[in-house]
Amino acid sequence: MVPTEEARELVLAFADDELCVGQNHSWWIAVGPFLEEDLAFTSIAQDELGHARALYSLLTDDVDHLAYGRTPSEYRSAHIAEFLCHDWSWALVRHVLHDIGEQIRWSAITDSSWKELAHTAQRALAEEHFHAQHGLSLMRRLLSNEDGRRRLEPVILELAPYGREYFVDPGHGLVDEGVLTMSMADQEQEWVKQVSGLFDEFDIPVDLNVEMPAFGRSGVRSKDFDLLHDEMTAVIRIDPKAQW
Amino acid sequence: MKTYEVFLKKEGKDPFSHAGSVDAPDDELALTYAREAYGRRSEGDQMWVVRRSDIIIADETELKMADRKHKHNDGQLLAELRRAAPRDES
Repeated sequence: MVPTEEARELVLAFADDELCVGQNHSWWIAVGPFLEEDLAFTSIAQDELGHARALYSLLTDDVDHLAYGRTPSEYRSAHIAEFLCHDWSWALVRHVLHDIGEQIRWSAITDSSWKELAHTAQRALAEEHFHAQHGLSLMRRLLSNEDGRRRLEPVILELAPYGREYFVDPGHGLVDEGVLTMSMADQEQEWVKQVSGLFDEFDIPVDLNVEMPAFGRSGVRSKDFDLLHDEMTAVIRIDPKAQW
Repeated sequence: MKTYEVFLKKEGKDPFSHAGSVDAPDDELALTYAREAYGRRSEGDQMWVVRRSDIIIADETELKMADRKHKHNDGQLLAELRRAAPRDES
């Protein structure tokens, strides 16, 4: 099938989320909280960059240009994906919120009428299971500990509402076209259910019924984006012919 | 944190072999860390993760103690004896 403009928007937004999260996770290479976590977290970073690449390649033959060659307002990433999270508690909370979201988002396209997209989703979903398991195990472990909870709770309360932005609908025809088998609204509801359920276990009162906290999908960039973009384009600025 | 030992096995006849160790706060994370540290490039098709505290460890001095030369039979001595022995031509 020839994907519609809104189907391409859906994929571009997803790819930009993955690029930003992958890039941000990779900031922890060699400075993770302990060796094993360092390895696991940055291996996940690599997977997310792989997902970004796979999604971009559904839209273009020149992945590098699409990933790195746009002006900031042409990116579609959610702000939660752009935040630098240079504090481990922020990085971990974003990882959990993002990967709960990713499982739902990939599941909604594994049977997509856009066959190449469905194929990409099936591969990614297998990895996603491990990402979510990693994040949830560590999060539960740390929330069961007094010091961990003291550090994580305020971050959870602040960051969680931003996850809603993952589910902004680029158009309302995606289910009818068969691109999605679950509407963005239903995906969001499932995400709210899973995230609330997780934090209910620890009596952390996250309020997700808030107004949309950011407008990254419309081209508005977060305060952190410039630094992130600078970092991710460092190589291509030195060597424009470099291959990803 | 607890220390865990990680073993990997490739498909086929090779046995499980020791890949390394990981520190983790619990069994579930030990599996995750073991997979990322030693199995992320498909180094094995099966993995065992064992709490180090569950391993029964032999006494090293007992293992090194005795001269075990007579246990090393590479067949050389027997081969020499057979070469030296007169052949039975019957």
